[in-house]
Amino acid sequence: MTSANSDSRPADSDRNLPARDPNSGFWPVFLSTFITIFLAELGDKTQVTTLLMSAESKAPVVVFLGAGLALVSTSLIGVLLGQWLSNRVSEETLDTCAGILLLLITIGLVGDILSR
Amino acid sequence: MDVKLFLVAFVAVFISELGDKSQLAAIALGGSSPSPRAVFFGTASALLLASFISVVLGGSSSVFIPEKLVKGIAAIGFGLLGLRLLWPESENS
Repeated sequence: MTSANSDSRPADSDRNLPARDPNSGFWPVFLSTFITIFLAELGDKTQVTTLLMSAESKAPVVVFLGAGLALVSTSLIGVLLGQWLSNRVSEETLDTCAGILLLLITIGLVGDILSR
Repeated sequence: MDVKLFLVAFVAVFISELGDKSQLAAIALGGSSPSPRAVFFGTASALLLASFISVVLGGSSSVFIPEKLVKGIAAIGFGLLGLRLLWPESENS
């Protein structure tokens, strides 16, 4: 009977928990992701492609199924890639890179707005 | 069901989304968020809703989306998410 392995995580709970996740719950993350992605994609090229395809083909359901499956796949790949990276890169580095990436997306969106 | 059309729609959208901003955002948010599942469901449902709207609108020719306004709001949203990742403690002050 093994003993003395019950104290492997002593007082782990108060070990410098940074205040990094005020929104760690499911719904705040879900909603902030949903709203930003939705607004960013509205009127974007993929949506235009889908729109034209369904208008031309007269089979909007099929187009929606194909496009929808593709969108679910790409977002799953994206999240899995992020997870994979988070197991290899330190949290701080990843947060910094992710923050910079999001700011680059912001700049790209602003560029889209200005170039039209 | 028209398999060819399905495949064309799938491949066209898959390729155009690969490496696009929403996938990059999914990578960034999925890696740094404490709840990657929420990021996946949020991303996937946002994309599905956007493409559902465009399929529904595909029939009608008059499409009006105030694109600059919508993208501006999205830019602010991404900017805030990015800033929160870069300077997490300033959120609490």
